[in-house]
Amino acid sequence: MSGIETVKIIVDAEKQAAKMINDAMNEASAIRKKIDSIVQTQRREMLAEANSEAASIAARAEEEGRFEAEQLEKQSTEALKAIASRASARRDATVEKLVTMMLQVE
Amino acid sequence: MSETGKFTEDILSSAREKAKAILREAETETQRASDEAKVTITREAEAVIRNARADADAVKRRQISEARHRVKLREQQEKEKIMEGVMDRVQERTSQFVANDPKYLPLLARLIENGVHELGDGTVLVHLTKLDLERNIPDLEQRISKSVGQVKVDWSRDPIQAVGGAVISSTDGKIRIVNTLDQRFEALEPKLLIEAGKALFGE
Repeated sequence: MSGIETVKIIVDAEKQAAKMINDAMNEASAIRKKIDSIVQTQRREMLAEANSEAASIAARAEEEGRFEAEQLEKQSTEALKAIASRASARRDATVEKLVTMMLQVE
Repeated sequence: MSETGKFTEDILSSAREKAKAILREAETETQRASDEAKVTITREAEAVIRNARADADAVKRRQISEARHRVKLREQQEKEKIMEGVMDRVQERTSQFVANDPKYLPLLARLIENGVHELGDGTVLVHLTKLDLERNIPDLEQRISKSVGQVKVDWSRDPIQAVGGAVISSTDGKIRIVNTLDQRFEALEPKLLIEAGKALFGE
């Protein structure tokens, strides 16, 4: 092998090596670029999931609140019936008591 | 292998290693960035849910508190309505008492005597309702004569607007003792309401 041929082989190898590194650098750059898009997608998905869970938490709480409020209203209606019935039974005696108080003059 | 072959193989081998290292570094870097992003996003998502829970609790608490308020208000209104009915009935019963009950005359006499005593000596003017002016003066004069002593009692011919009772005034009208049943009702109303509340709604 002549000296020129030897140099040519080495130069080719250097070129091939430089290309390998250049390709690797390009690929690394593409990987770095891709991560931004992956992170954005991941963020969008996770936040969408969180927002969906948040919406169902809010809906559930509202439903529970409405249910408890309805229960309170029902209990109150029953309590009011009892109050009215008891007061009705005591009405005449109360009127007499108050009239007596009214007309009691020292 | 020739020396040249070994040399070129070294160059290529070194380049391969370097290329691998570049890719490895990029992958490690992206993995770290991805992990960091995941932590941040997870925190962000957790905050969304935490806030939603806090908001939901507040909504639920508000709904229950509003319901409690509504219930309490309705209960109060219902009780007030019952009390108003009772107080109206007390007034009706008082009117009936004045119209029909023989115990009214002694009561009226006491109201007049009390007013006369409060005013003191001299001459006093007693004002009565139309009904009492029509029916009770001779009886009243007889009933109060002992108790009023030296005080001269004149009977006004102008009727007062009241259910019953009397207004006792000085002759010049400057001092007036209002001993009507209406005034008693008004003065006693807070006490009557408390008693009515206890009697109607107490255990």
